[in-house]
Amino acid sequence: MKHISPIQVAAETPARPPTRRALAKQQTRQKVLAAARRLFSEQGYEGATIRDIAAAAGMSTGAVFANFTDKSDLFREIMVDDMKALHAAMCDAATRGRNIEESLLKIFVAGYTFYKTRLQLARAAFSVSWDKDGGPPLRNLSAATALNDLFAEQLSAAVERGELSQEADVKLRSQMLFDTYLSNFPQAIFEGWSLDALQTRARDQIRILLAGARRG
Amino acid sequence: MDVNVEQQAGALPPRQSQKAATRQRVLDAARELFDTRGYQAATIREIARHAGVSVGSVFTTFASKGEILSEVMTARLDSLYAEIDRVMPHVRGSTADRLRTLFAIHFEFEARQVRLFLSHIAAAYDFTLSPDARPYGRTPRLQAIIREVVEQGVADGEVCADVDLQEVIDLLMAAYAWTYRLVVTRNADAKTMIAAMDRQIGLIAKGFASRA
Repeated sequence: MKHISPIQVAAETPARPPTRRALAKQQTRQKVLAAARRLFSEQGYEGATIRDIAAAAGMSTGAVFANFTDKSDLFREIMVDDMKALHAAMCDAATRGRNIEESLLKIFVAGYTFYKTRLQLARAAFSVSWDKDGGPPLRNLSAATALNDLFAEQLSAAVERGELSQEADVKLRSQMLFDTYLSNFPQAIFEGWSLDALQTRARDQIRILLAGARRG
Repeated sequence: MDVNVEQQAGALPPRQSQKAATRQRVLDAARELFDTRGYQAATIREIARHAGVSVGSVFTTFASKGEILSEVMTARLDSLYAEIDRVMPHVRGSTADRLRTLFAIHFEFEARQVRLFLSHIAAAYDFTLSPDARPYGRTPRLQAIIREVVEQGVADGEVCADVDLQEVIDLLMAAYAWTYRLVVTRNADAKTMIAAMDRQIGLIAKGFASRA
């Protein structure tokens, strides 16, 4: 039997450091993602080609395709990163509301704040989401449905607290709240509404949508 | 639109009538492509090829594909609104029920070429959209029709007078557009969309109900 050095043992444990090759691959991915994010923001989903993205990242289109199957794959990866960060921000915001109306409002505002610096990327995402082919894979991402679920979780918790009635149609109401949250983006993107203006509008919308579920 | 009517009514010099014919060919080809391929895949080049005209001649008539779609939708929606103007004065019932009828007519109409309507919504987010284009949300007619119904509700005492009407209209506009998500995700038909919209209108109606 051969002597096994401690180094070899360490190399076989699951937590071994990534190889140089894996690290290089990871760096390539990050470079492509950063370039793609910039181009999607500047030129929209349709306008940004894989060739342009590769050039902006300083690599060949072959190197891009070695990491991502196609443009939609690349785009979804960026969306997943953002939606996870957004979800965390929204969850955090929700805990700071003293009642359901405030929590929902803080969730809305967390979303608008998050996208304030990336409105053009949001615009590209909306454009893809309404496409019959590109829409479903984007809308069905677990990171996307988690955002929708967050609204349902908030409403269910409010029902448990006795703040909303047992008959509050949580599924429909949370879906409508999420849709309403999304429907305000055109004002933010094209009309340049301030966060204050969006918040005022959102508060009224939330009140109308909650009215039928109030107890009493 | 008016220009077209004039062109058809009067005897036109050959060059101008040829231009009108090209325009119509482009619109017909575009309507079909937006419906079969969707907004993103229907490029100006594809539209030109389908219409049997050069890309250059498309651009001499239209500034962008968003503008072509706006023309297609305007022509199409004219017949829908004519139907609505004919029907709505006879519709009875609560504000919510009248809204349900209004939107049911819309869904039945749009479901015939539903991808065209998805294109109409998607166009709102197009990066190359020219200012003249009128994608979903920038068509004032639908808002005006909804407003009429809701204002009638205020007059009847069914809608709370201190509710911001524009916000109610916007909520309904959002619910209407977002109901088409069911087509994207589940291939929903008109009946399914109407049922989904009916429930949403019920929920919004509780929010605007008069607190008598």
